[in-house]
Amino acid sequence: MSNDHDHDHDHGHGHKPPAPMVEEISDFEALEIAVRELAIEKGLFSAEDHRRFTEFAEHIGPTPAARMVAKAWLDPEYKKQCLTDAIKASFAVGVDWLNPTGFGTPSDYTDLRVLEDTPTMHHVVVCTLCSCYPRPILGFQPEWYRTPNYRRRLVRWPRQVLAEFGLTLPAEVEVRVEDSNQKCRFIVMPMRPAGTEGWTEDQLTEIVTRDCLIGVALPKPGMTTNIPLPVHKPAKPAHH
Amino acid sequence: MSQHDRTHHATIATGKGDPQCFKGTAGPAKFKVGDRVRIKNLPDIFYTRCQVYTRGAVGVVAVVTHESPAPEDEAWGHVDQSEWFYIVRFKQKDLWPEYPTNFPNDTLQTEFSERWLESV
Repeated sequence: MSNDHDHDHDHGHGHKPPAPMVEEISDFEALEIAVRELAIEKGLFSAEDHRRFTEFAEHIGPTPAARMVAKAWLDPEYKKQCLTDAIKASFAVGVDWLNPTGFGTPSDYTDLRVLEDTPTMHHVVVCTLCSCYPRPILGFQPEWYRTPNYRRRLVRWPRQVLAEFGLTLPAEVEVRVEDSNQKCRFIVMPMRPAGTEGWTEDQLTEIVTRDCLIGVALPKPGMTTNIPLPVHKPAKPAHH
Repeated sequence: MSQHDRTHHATIATGKGDPQCFKGTAGPAKFKVGDRVRIKNLPDIFYTRCQVYTRGAVGVVAVVTHESPAPEDEAWGHVDQSEWFYIVRFKQKDLWPEYPTNFPNDTLQTEFSERWLESV
C-alpha cells in the first residue's frame, strides 16, 4: 500500500476499521478481573455476591457526608460527636461503617476522622499511596483523586493545586494537607458560609459538595455541584 | 475448599471494624500527643506505607490513632503483632526545602506505625 494516500484511504475500502469494543484497559483493571474470577472459582464469594456488592458500592454518593456537615453546622452537640467519634456520628446520617453492605463485613477500614476548618486553617485530603477514601460515607473517588498528578503534587504544591481548582487562600490561612495513607479515613468539615442564615438542614446539605468534603472547594450559597474541570483537547491525539 | 484461610481477616473484623478489632493488642503506646519524633529510614523491600518524602523529617505527634498490625506485616498475612499508630504533623518547609517561604504556617499530616518513629 502506498504511503502517498492519506490515512482514510489506507484501508482500501473507503472506510475506517470498526472501533474496538474496549478502547483501553489498565493493568489494574486486568488484575482486578483476574483476581475476581479466581476468587469466584475458589468459592470465596459468588458472582451474585460480587454483583450485589458492586451495585451497593456504586450507588453510594457523598450525600451522607454532606448531611453530616450540615447537621453539625446546626447542632453543636452533634458537631462535637463528629469530631470525637465520627463512626458513631455516621449512624445519624444512615451509615453503619461496620456493616454498610448488609453482608456482615466492613467494606473498608473503619476509623473515620473529621477535619474541622477554622478561619485560620484549611484542610485538604489526598492519598499519596493510591486512593484511600471514606467510601461508605462519600462514595467512590472522583477520577482526578486517583491520578498520580494530584497525589504527588498536592503534598508538595498544595496552594498551586488548590488554585487550579479555583481555590486561592490568603497566606494567613494555614493549609494543612492530610495524607491518608493508613487505616484512618478523612472528610473535611468546612466552615458554614455567610449568606446561609436561617437555612434548613436540607438546604445546607445541598451546598456541601464532594469537592468541599475533600477540601478542594469551599461551600457557598448557590453552588450545589462540583467544579467543572477544564478539559483540554490533546494537541496530538492518539490514533487507533 | 482452599487450604489457605483467606477470610480470616474479614472474620475477625466483623461487627467490630478494622482497626478496632486489634484494640488492646499493642501494649502501652511509646509516644503521646506533642512528642517530637523523627521518621526513621528503614529498609522497605516489597511493601510499605511510609512515604519516602517523610524519611528523616522531624514532626510532632498530633493524634494517637489506633492499634493495628503494621502494613509491612499485614500485607503478608502476619497479624499477630500489633503496633500503635500516630498521625504526625510536619511543617511543610521541613519536608520540602523549596516550599514557598511566604506560607511558613502550612503543614502536612500523615500516619505512621510506631516502628517508623524515634524520639528527638
